[in-house]
Amino acid sequence: MQRIFQIDGEETDCWLGHDGSRFVLHTPTRAVACQLDPTGLPGGYTLRAKGVVRELRLAVGPEATFVHMNGRTYEVGRVDPAERLAGSDGGASDDRLVAPMPGVVVSVAVKPGDAVKEGQPLLVIESMKLETTLVAPRSGVVAEMPFAVGDSFGLKDILAQLAPEEE
Amino acid sequence: MRRIESQIDTNAADYKANYAAMSERLKEFHARQHAARFERPQRDIDRLARQNKLGVRERLKLLLDPGTPFLEFSTLAACREYDGTVPGAAVVTGIGIVQGREVAIHANDASVKGGAWYPHTVKKIVRLLDVALENRLPVIHICDSAGGFLPLQHGVFPDRYLGGRVFRNQVKLSQANIPQIAVVGGHCTAGGAYVPTLSDYNIIIEGTGAIFLGGPPLVKAATGEEVGVQELGGAVMHTSVSGTGDYRAATEQHAFSLAREIVSQWKRMPKTIIETASYEEPFYDPKELYGIIPKDRKTQFDMREVLARIVDGSRFHEYQPDYGTTMVCGFAHIWGYKVGILANNGVLFNDSSLKAAHFMQLCNQNRTPLVFFQNITGYMVGREYEERGIAKDGAKMLMAQGGSVVPKFTVIANASYGAGNYGMCGRAWDARTLFMWPQAEIGVMGADQAANTMADVKIRQLQREGKELTEEEIAAIREPVLEKYKRDVEAYTSTSELWDDGILDPADTRNALGISISASLNAPIDDPHYGIFRL
Repeated sequence: MQRIFQIDGEETDCWLGHDGSRFVLHTPTRAVACQLDPTGLPGGYTLRAKGVVRELRLAVGPEATFVHMNGRTYEVGRVDPAERLAGSDGGASDDRLVAPMPGVVVSVAVKPGDAVKEGQPLLVIESMKLETTLVAPRSGVVAEMPFAVGDSFGLKDILAQLAPEEE
Repeated sequence: MRRIESQIDTNAADYKANYAAMSERLKEFHARQHAARFERPQRDIDRLARQNKLGVRERLKLLLDPGTPFLEFSTLAACREYDGTVPGAAVVTGIGIVQGREVAIHANDASVKGGAWYPHTVKKIVRLLDVALENRLPVIHICDSAGGFLPLQHGVFPDRYLGGRVFRNQVKLSQANIPQIAVVGGHCTAGGAYVPTLSDYNIIIEGTGAIFLGGPPLVKAATGEEVGVQELGGAVMHTSVSGTGDYRAATEQHAFSLAREIVSQWKRMPKTIIETASYEEPFYDPKELYGIIPKDRKTQFDMREVLARIVDGSRFHEYQPDYGTTMVCGFAHIWGYKVGILANNGVLFNDSSLKAAHFMQLCNQNRTPLVFFQNITGYMVGREYEERGIAKDGAKMLMAQGGSVVPKFTVIANASYGAGNYGMCGRAWDARTLFMWPQAEIGVMGADQAANTMADVKIRQLQREGKELTEEEIAAIREPVLEKYKRDVEAYTSTSELWDDGILDPADTRNALGISISASLNAPIDDPHYGIFRL
């Protein structure tokens, strides 16, 4: 597994390994041996890498680590690879709202021709003693609302239809 | 592990309305809890002072490590029984820390009816000792009881899970090498005499503590012998003559410091090792739960929003996020302990039941404790679902859940209706601890459905007899049924009857689970094994 760090806003892939005697920082292009020793000061460390010795101070937060070195502070953020690499969620959204189970329509919030935003409530259904609000899968214009308040519907019936998106 | 990204808008009108409704409920809940713990008639407080005894809460303070949590069980037990005159069922139980060790505590509350055992008192003590057995927790008994409440002796004494079970459980604890101490700070009469005598160690407080099978009045009646409390069963007699008592304490303070010293002598047993991570507070404020739980129980809500306010760092690794989506399954940490979570996001369908069964097997295989968050109105009904075998898929879920060897914990977060309660580890399914939120309901079905069903039966019966009913007459049949049922399914009824281990302020859920999980690791985890799955 790789780690992705965000150093002052720029993303960098790297992985810290250990070769048995010291730490090795692997980047996509090279491997750098390095050593980090506490100096006794709060958050103080001595970094040795590529023959260079640097004094630095570290502050570790839940979201990012702050490295103070050479009179400058660098913010190093950790990016979760599973999140970073997942891409956009869910893929293409549907034009239709399909009944997840049989039930009854409790209320209808929109009518054909209305413009709706993604996540906007379209109608409320009741099934098995539970009221569920169904929301617009994407922004668009309502084409059809086939059921009125009090109507029963079956599994996989279409409860709302958005007008097709223009390319 | 990734953080749940909350979609909650804390400025939305819904959120604010929910928050206000929950705050109202919690105000009532905290007031009732405070009353059950501390409010007593003056004469009872005076009596304790006259007898030179400390109250049960002061005793706990002397016993427990300062600044450590005490997970009190069923504070509102019996709140709907005996006209509300027996707060907490006259006994305090819970899990606390003594000398750095987790212990189960059973302490009579002599400020309530002299600490007499009512039917609900016995139920509460037996439950505590079951908790001690399941989790292998040492027990500290603080004895100060007038004995069984005689007018209700049939509800205290004869049945399998009544009085005798207290002593039977003490024997089973001893047999399982789980130590017990009794601090005798009042009378232990008749059956009550067996609590200190079945404990490995007991301490009797001079002047107030006494143990005897029959008290002075009974002895006088039985044999004519006249004898005082101290000669018959006081601290000096028992610790120097009969050997029934082990330690004599000059004062209450002395007694509890002795008890603490005894606990520190015990061998520390290694706890079961499960996966852990470093402790992290939830990223989202647990108090936001008040605005997330809908004020109308029928309104659906996303359990991930609830989990985000309970688990470490609000981090959740969701399992099968796109399959059987009414059942949310995944891994998280609570107080650093890795847990597998099952939470309802709607009715249980075939796919959601199978997903739950599969996930529970996964958790058993890698020794991950299970936490259930119930908001369940049941398994889906109808021809389509019966044909797909909903009953047999539900059976698989029960087989996996009931057959689980890892510790289980249940939070009834909203609805708990019908077989859904079973599948999601309701009371009968041995959750190590089970808590309810104040607005939650438990019943065979929802109040409206039950009232309609019962009213329909009655109406059809009348119609068969040839009676025509008006709307008003139907309402007159339905209303009282609905009123009664609504009360019966409330959390206060459940907690009064000890169908749970207490009602929780939702914001306290994380800590209650943390203590429960930590305590459960005093017991080993068996290798996974199951019954037969109907495939």
